[in-house]
Amino acid sequence: MMIFKKAIPRRTFLRGVGATVALPLLDGMIPAFASKSQAAVMSPVRLSICYVPNGIIPGAWKPQTVGPNFEITPVLKPLAKFRDRLLVLSGLSNRHAEAAPGDGGQTAPHELACGAFLTGAHPQKEGRVGVSMDQVLAQEFGQQTQLASLELGIEAPDVTGQCALGWNCAYIHTLSWRSPTTPVPIENQPRMVFERLFGDSNTTDPAERQARISQNRSLLDWMSESSARIMKRLGPKDRSKLTEYLDAIRDVERRIARAEEQTSRELPVLDRPAGIPATYDEHAKIMFDLMTSALQSDMTRVITFMLGREQSDWTYREIGIFDAHHPTTHHQNDPVKIGKITKINIFHASLLSYYLEKLASTPDGDGSLLDHSMVLYGSGLGDGSQHAPHDLPILLAGGAAGQIRGGSHIQHPKDTPVTNLFLTIMDRMGVHQDSFGDSTGRLDLSHPA
Amino acid sequence: MVGRILSWIGIVLAGAGTLPAAGIQTANLTPQTVSQYRAILDRYCVTCHNERLRTAELVLGAMDVGNVSEDAAVWEKVVRKLRTGAMPPAGMPRPDTATHDSFVTYLEAQLDRASAGNPNPGRTGVHRLNRAEYTNAIRDLLALEIDGGALLPPDESAYGFDNIAAVLSVSPLLLERYMTAARRISRRAIGDPDARPVFETYEIRKFLRQDDHMSEDLPFGSRGGIAIRHYFPLDGEYIIRIRLQKEARERIRGLHEPHQIDVRLDGERVTLFTIGSEDFGTPAPIFSLGTLVGDPEREKYERFADEDLEIRFSAKTGTRLVGISFVNQFVIPEGPLHYINGRPDYLPRLSLSDRIENRGGPPEVQTVAIGGPYDAKGLGETPSRNKVFVCRPVNNDDEEACVKRILSTLARRAYRRPFTDEDLEPLLSFYKAGQSDGGFEEGIRRALEAILVSPEFLFRIESDPANVALGTAYLISDIELASRLSFFLWSSIPDDELLDVAERGELRDPGVLEQQVGRMLRDRRSQALVSNFAAEWLGLRALAAAKPDQNVFSDFDENLRDAFRLETELFFENIMREDRSVLEFLDANYSFVNNRLAEHYQIPGVYGSHFRRVKLSDGTRGGLLGQGAILTATSYDNRTSPVTRGKWVLDNLLGTPPPPPPPNVPFLKEQGAGDKVLTMRERMEQHRADPACASCHKLMDPLGFALENFDGIGKWRTAEGGTPIDPSGVLPDGTTFQGPAELRKALLTKREGFVTIVTEKLLTYALGRWLEYYDAPAVREITREAAPNEHRWSSLILGIVQSTPFQRRRSQDP
Repeated sequence: MMIFKKAIPRRTFLRGVGATVALPLLDGMIPAFASKSQAAVMSPVRLSICYVPNGIIPGAWKPQTVGPNFEITPVLKPLAKFRDRLLVLSGLSNRHAEAAPGDGGQTAPHELACGAFLTGAHPQKEGRVGVSMDQVLAQEFGQQTQLASLELGIEAPDVTGQCALGWNCAYIHTLSWRSPTTPVPIENQPRMVFERLFGDSNTTDPAERQARISQNRSLLDWMSESSARIMKRLGPKDRSKLTEYLDAIRDVERRIARAEEQTSRELPVLDRPAGIPATYDEHAKIMFDLMTSALQSDMTRVITFMLGREQSDWTYREIGIFDAHHPTTHHQNDPVKIGKITKINIFHASLLSYYLEKLASTPDGDGSLLDHSMVLYGSGLGDGSQHAPHDLPILLAGGAAGQIRGGSHIQHPKDTPVTNLFLTIMDRMGVHQDSFGDSTGRLDLSHPA
Repeated sequence: MVGRILSWIGIVLAGAGTLPAAGIQTANLTPQTVSQYRAILDRYCVTCHNERLRTAELVLGAMDVGNVSEDAAVWEKVVRKLRTGAMPPAGMPRPDTATHDSFVTYLEAQLDRASAGNPNPGRTGVHRLNRAEYTNAIRDLLALEIDGGALLPPDESAYGFDNIAAVLSVSPLLLERYMTAARRISRRAIGDPDARPVFETYEIRKFLRQDDHMSEDLPFGSRGGIAIRHYFPLDGEYIIRIRLQKEARERIRGLHEPHQIDVRLDGERVTLFTIGSEDFGTPAPIFSLGTLVGDPEREKYERFADEDLEIRFSAKTGTRLVGISFVNQFVIPEGPLHYINGRPDYLPRLSLSDRIENRGGPPEVQTVAIGGPYDAKGLGETPSRNKVFVCRPVNNDDEEACVKRILSTLARRAYRRPFTDEDLEPLLSFYKAGQSDGGFEEGIRRALEAILVSPEFLFRIESDPANVALGTAYLISDIELASRLSFFLWSSIPDDELLDVAERGELRDPGVLEQQVGRMLRDRRSQALVSNFAAEWLGLRALAAAKPDQNVFSDFDENLRDAFRLETELFFENIMREDRSVLEFLDANYSFVNNRLAEHYQIPGVYGSHFRRVKLSDGTRGGLLGQGAILTATSYDNRTSPVTRGKWVLDNLLGTPPPPPPPNVPFLKEQGAGDKVLTMRERMEQHRADPACASCHKLMDPLGFALENFDGIGKWRTAEGGTPIDPSGVLPDGTTFQGPAELRKALLTKREGFVTIVTEKLLTYALGRWLEYYDAPAVREITREAAPNEHRWSSLILGIVQSTPFQRRRSQDP
């Protein structure tokens, strides 16, 4: 056998040049040396969206009691220590995940559930939906942070043929859409995420970095000039790919500009990860570590993370479940299968708990990262066994810089669009929209003490 | 339920009521006139697909049978349903075969005629290179092998392929990767005289057993190890460090006896290490669960003995083959081999848990790290440098001419079109900037870097000629055709010969296209059809992601996974290279196995790890449906999935994909009285009692059941949990059969469906867009023309290359 792919032992760390200093992917984008962070003073609100596929067993998730005395259900148990930092939000609905007449009988419930979730729009087969909530925020914060957003996942999106015939597979691989027709792919390799955030070069010579910056600038200029020239000879419909390319160029240009401004940013200490860890558990945790670092260093303020692709067939062996996730969710009321799915739901919640712990223990400004974060956790399906996109399992953790008080289970009227929550989340991020997707208003997250 | 039945009867009655007066009931009279066809439509189709019922949102009542071009999209749908026998549905009145055939033939002829008069070749938009194409383009442009997977993110897919233009989007992440890749690739192609020492580590999958000859690139008769293509950046000294597999207590396995490790560079031995010893300290028992340990000295040795496996050696610049393997010490007894449970008796096979828990078994390589350069002697010649530096300036006067020659050669290949003066200016300015920073070579590198991020390299862009009216079909230029050919057959850029022919405008001269296609198919680069087209069509990428459960399928390991993949690749490649009929995908009576796979398939008399062609005689295997790759990829981790397998057969072999599942999955009724545990088949039968499920599952499940003799990793079985397997199955048209052998025969009776679906998949892949109704005439023409050639591979490929959608493009719509 011939192996071309390189895997670096997991314990190989970046040593020698000082683990705190690592240059970014496009060398020289991130300043190497740091004085005390200025960003920390302002402590912006950060948003993480953690998505689990195939719904959550409603009976194991949803507390019967509404209000601050809600009981800790089996799935919420791993999160019990954070009960005062989180809100369980019931009654929300992902209405555009329902089949619509225009689908021509070609329904694809999982594609719809995931494609509609953050967009509040009805996915069209070949890949047209709406700009997702995280990307609305990304467009805003991309002006201030080096990366407008980060899109992460566990499962590589390169297994073709797993999505419904004729549907753009992006619907089950990502939550994020930059434009109604441009999905943002997820990254699942920790090393790639690290290099995107903190660079792949060992150079610390400022002169060399400055030279790289100007080289990158002239490359970007050349790229946009070339595409402008080509676009002239193309019809309007053919221009869209090159428009995507141009948009991406502007994004990178902005990143370079931000990097030059923020010459005194302190970067977190983090080991450079190697390949994809052997177990799901380790993989998820290292992604959460990277997310924490990205938020801590204010490289970005918006992250989506898919703990599994929608309709995932992942087998969670490490918790003793040897059946594929998706087919088991269609449990036909078989208590054994329900038990297995519940165990998977609990496992995911325990990983969320790891993340919340991590955020809570990371100092940020006058408090912790969790104090200045919102962590949205949930699924685009409620009862996965029925493909029911109603009464979604949704939880919002974190303080949003004093704007959210946790510790309650809030029941919203039946079929309240989940996009109402998104409007409210965007408000807390300082981005005010009149409406979003199918929203009908804003959510009241306040509750009696 | 009762209501449902009544409405069903109502439909039948309504149908009877609209029975026309024309005398078409006399079945043997073949209809010939438009009014007769109209009557057939009314009688067999409009009963459901009328204004009132609008079944499946399809209304055929008011459509003009005499003028099908009006509603070609709808008529193509009708043709498909008729051709695949899906309509009228079972239980409804059906026309006799002659009437049916005559009607569908009439419709097809009308549609084909309409299309020939006013062809619609469709329009593929701007097409970004996908990761595989980018990787191959770099290989062909710069004679450089790169690991695309490590440089670029995966691509999104649709319709089963990841080369579909419409879904290949561009994100900032991708753009950053392109820029990084361009920097790294240009540096490697030109060579970096200042390369600093770095270590790269190659890891062998833990559950790949190293008990046999692992690669044709390792010495014959060797065992285990790894062959690595490593890039050495400079002439100089390098270090190789080898680490061995350890058990759970971090002790190296197999040190109870001496072993020799052979290290080679481009086939030449660098050194021979010896490790392991019988008479050194007091070891723990070989198979002990960790509680027993040897004396401290011995324990220390077994933990750290591999730290001595390090050698410094010199190597020349370039990609070179590093081979690490064990000298095989197993003495193979003379005479016939004896087998114990299918294994040669001289070689015990440890279970995977033994491998984790115990120190027994032969030692295996875990990682190989290669570091350097030390004591660098400068840049040597490499294929990349030879390819880039087609000239060297001797003095200042000829510098510009040489630079121009280098850049025009590179850019012409990268942009896949003639190089113009306009192209030169910007590249020259990159050259000049680099030249003033670091000299001639740095200048070329900078310009190369710019070429690699240019939209003209990263995108395939076709543009309408100025003189073509909007919304009409036109012949694409020879230059554009050259790229379509090379990306179809090679997943890469055209080579110089193809570009030359195209630039001279000779590509469409009589015989030239055929000659070029033949040449390209014979070229090794057509291997891309195996690694991209076949891998996606046949689900080999899903095989790579499959994780069969060790508790259920203890036979499965990485060696078996590799063998499955290779079998299917070799099988596909054989049909392609030998130009066999594509029907052999259904019923070939041969396949390709090595000893490991032969054992799995219970084929006697196969020794050695190399793959060879074997004849399959007992009827259990043969064709794609007997191959472990497909059987595993269509199973869950811990059991078979008749639904998934049935769907795979419908999608890929019959060409009649079932509709997707309903949005609301109803629950099955509680299990029957008593506590009887239902078998998979019984449960599925119950499932199909529900009409909402049945409409599709009655198509999928019976096909999957017929494959139940193959377990979740494709091993033959006759019983499951003590209950004998019932491999009876039913085709969508009601044909019944028993087991895979009869399924194969039954599929051959539906060969048109298979040839059509293969053609559609190939055409989708060739065009990089999904097919529309207006492509159906082209598909029919390709399959029709291929029929006299027994549907040989080359006849399909040529048919596609000569088809309207491949040769033409529709100009922008008004």
